[in-house]
Amino acid sequence: MADHSGVSHGVARTSRERTAEQKLVETEKITKYRELEDEVRAAVVRNEYTPELFQLTSKLLRINPEYYTIWNVRRRSLISGLLSKRSAGSSPSKASPSTSPTATTTTPSAASSSSSSTATPPVPESSTAGKSSSTADEPAFPPSNPGDETAAAEQKDREILRLELDFTIPLLMKSPKCYWIWNYRLWILQQAIERLQVAVSRRIWEEELGLVEKMLNRDKRNFHAWGYRRHVVEQLESSSLAGASMVETEFEYTTKMIRQDLSNFSAWHRRSKLIPRLLDERHADDMVRKDFLDRELNFIREKLNVGPEDYSLWYYHQFLMLNLLNYVGHPTIAPTLTNDERAAYITREIDDIKDLLEDYPDYKLIYEALLDYTLSLCQVEGRKPDSSEKEQLIEWLRQLKRLDPMRDGRWTDLERDCGLLKLGFGKN
Amino acid sequence: MESLGDTLWDIVICGTGLQQSLLALSLSRTGKKILHIDPNEYYGGPDAAFSLQEAEAWVDRHASISSGVFRSASITKPEGSAGLSFSRAYSLALTPQLIHARSKLLSQLVSSRAYKQVEFLAVGSFFTFKPSTDPEQKPTLARVPSTREDVAFETTLSLKAKRGLMKFLKFVLDFEGETQLAVWQPHANSPFNEFLQQEFKMDAELQKYIITLTLSLDGQMSTRDGLAIIYRHLTSMGFFGPGFAAVYPKWGGISEIAQVACRAGAVGGAVYMLGTGIKSQEISDNDIELQLTSGDKVKTKLLVQADDKTEGTFSISRLTAIVASPLKGLFESVVEGAPLPAVSVTAFPAGALQTEAGESYEYPVYVVAHSSDTGECPAGQSILYLSALTTPHSQDVLKKALESFLESVGDKQIPQRLFELHYEQGRGSVESKASGLIFTLPNVSPSLAFDDAALDPIKTAWGVVMGEDASNTEYMAFPDREHADEEMSDE
Repeated sequence: MADHSGVSHGVARTSRERTAEQKLVETEKITKYRELEDEVRAAVVRNEYTPELFQLTSKLLRINPEYYTIWNVRRRSLISGLLSKRSAGSSPSKASPSTSPTATTTTPSAASSSSSSTATPPVPESSTAGKSSSTADEPAFPPSNPGDETAAAEQKDREILRLELDFTIPLLMKSPKCYWIWNYRLWILQQAIERLQVAVSRRIWEEELGLVEKMLNRDKRNFHAWGYRRHVVEQLESSSLAGASMVETEFEYTTKMIRQDLSNFSAWHRRSKLIPRLLDERHADDMVRKDFLDRELNFIREKLNVGPEDYSLWYYHQFLMLNLLNYVGHPTIAPTLTNDERAAYITREIDDIKDLLEDYPDYKLIYEALLDYTLSLCQVEGRKPDSSEKEQLIEWLRQLKRLDPMRDGRWTDLERDCGLLKLGFGKN
Repeated sequence: MESLGDTLWDIVICGTGLQQSLLALSLSRTGKKILHIDPNEYYGGPDAAFSLQEAEAWVDRHASISSGVFRSASITKPEGSAGLSFSRAYSLALTPQLIHARSKLLSQLVSSRAYKQVEFLAVGSFFTFKPSTDPEQKPTLARVPSTREDVAFETTLSLKAKRGLMKFLKFVLDFEGETQLAVWQPHANSPFNEFLQQEFKMDAELQKYIITLTLSLDGQMSTRDGLAIIYRHLTSMGFFGPGFAAVYPKWGGISEIAQVACRAGAVGGAVYMLGTGIKSQEISDNDIELQLTSGDKVKTKLLVQADDKTEGTFSISRLTAIVASPLKGLFESVVEGAPLPAVSVTAFPAGALQTEAGESYEYPVYVVAHSSDTGECPAGQSILYLSALTTPHSQDVLKKALESFLESVGDKQIPQRLFELHYEQGRGSVESKASGLIFTLPNVSPSLAFDDAALDPIKTAWGVVMGEDASNTEYMAFPDREHADEEMSDE
């Protein structure tokens, strides 16, 4: 028999109304939550950073990962007992009262500053009851010599850090944009650099890169993920992880992302930022640089050819044009081009963009680009627009007024500034 | 337990092809008394998938038949069968069809919950065969671009041609809009290629790309049909994930869906009997008495069967080849984050192939390649399903196509051909027929991509069975069964 009770179109209906029973269930949940929270806060006030407190933070954070204070409590739990004590010679603990903030206010993209501010409150070795061994059920055996002790400590730390990373994963799946979870991950990753051998921490960071890639595949234009990726790559390139430059693979990665979606503004932006270092590391001479510029212009030309409405594509084209125009005091792709060569490049671009008008007569960004670049060409050649250019400028401004009437004032201003109104060409 | 003859059945369904099986699925929660029989010893009817032994037995039955859906069946083993694995390592689909992501079939499988039993694989790139212009060079396959990104990264078309292609793709995506209708409706019934040429100035090259995407077997569809088919392809692209527009069920394609549907019918209480057909029938006012080949006599209020006669001259020639190579180049994912495809399509445009006698074959030929990920052959091998409109020379042309295709994909050596199945497949009536207590489902034309039109007669049959209840029952929409996973065990 077909049974449709409670089900509509095969999908359970989510109701906004709550029955008395549901209200009761919710009230119980709230009470339990408050009790949990009170327990945690009480322990913090008493400075009792025990493994029990640590477990309580797990419970609380699973319910509410946005409660950033509790992430701090968790950090302190780790530092004050669960993770191994750092010996006097290693990085000094910045002693300060227990209320010192850790990375609570930074976003993942600015995370590099947060990772150095892991202020650790001083905790007396012997005081708190129940403090000691690792979260795992490891027997505490007395190490026979200092070397073993360090190795054992590192092994313990490694496991704890891995468990912490695992802990955040289901939370991330549920709340992929929660800053506090990502911050905590970064803090754990930084601990890995400080506490573990280079080979081990490097592998952990490489896995992190894999995780960011998964995030970016899910949401290609996640601006925060791109920032996070940049930070991860920076660390992987740094000496603290025995790194080498990754600029080539990063550049290739932007190509892959663009292949997936032309409109990926973040990918184009990243690409533009990588180019100066890319060319430097390739020890590119003038010919190689010119060739690179030609290829990038060709690359963007093909994209504009199919996506003239797309602002991110025009943004990148402008970036390349600025390379030709704004070369004084800026690192550019081909700094030794002569003025004539620059003019030739701009002229070619203008001609190619005019071709687009054949098939795309109604995209305002095309007219804007033609306007911009024609004026730039005149600048480069140190002259004013000639009469045929003026006619074109008037026509393009006319189109812009038609396609973008909201900015009518701007187009009129431009007409005036270019001396086009006085000549009595093109009314309205 | 009651014997079959004691029950007055609500419906007897004859045949377990996709259509009859979907009917059983649609009725699986009604509690109606359903007897579902099939004269074959296997599920799937014309949509079945065969092991090598089953294929050989099937060929024996169809070698000399000159009527019915299938005829002129034969098997050849051109290079000996040294590399062939055991019979059950293969699952050769008689009617291989890919299913577009936006197909109504998939949404019905979802709403009826049957989709959980099926594993879907991605259909990847579409290629057009390009003969070599230089005798020293081998022929190549050109990937057909169907997204903006594809077009931007494609390397053989000119900028101008690409703009033309983009304009067309944009036009199709909104082909039912006012401006667009004004452009194509006057030409709705004229040939699609002419429309492409006149309205979009598409040269022969670009037209070939578009025709490939239509999977049309006679290359001559109307503008209206062409636009609808391309629209289906484009809107399906990326619908389930990046990089693919269609899916293919693992373990034999449509046959797998038919089996899953029958399983659902059985869980719902229907009685299944393979190897059982109808010997004779006696129709009275309120029921039909059927004499089954099993010796049972059953009475039913309604009989649903499929049309097994073919009408008209439309017929497809098929060549199914098992090849000793994984043909990895055909199954690459082109876009980051896309699943690895298990199926790819290559079209030989009309006029690309010649018969032995040197005559040009004026229809397209399609090669649908399946990797071992489909479960249809062992790892290290692939299956090539070739199809072409039947002419006196079509089998010849298929052989040529296979040879040229293998030449273009072979790396250093031309891949070895282990087993080849040849047959012809016809189309029956397109209309369902209801005469009194017998409902005959049409034998739908075997296209290369599943056609949603095939679903309409099934709903009509469902309506006949449901009677008055049809108006207040939603079609193919069921909640999850409790303990669903425990009940449905794999066979």
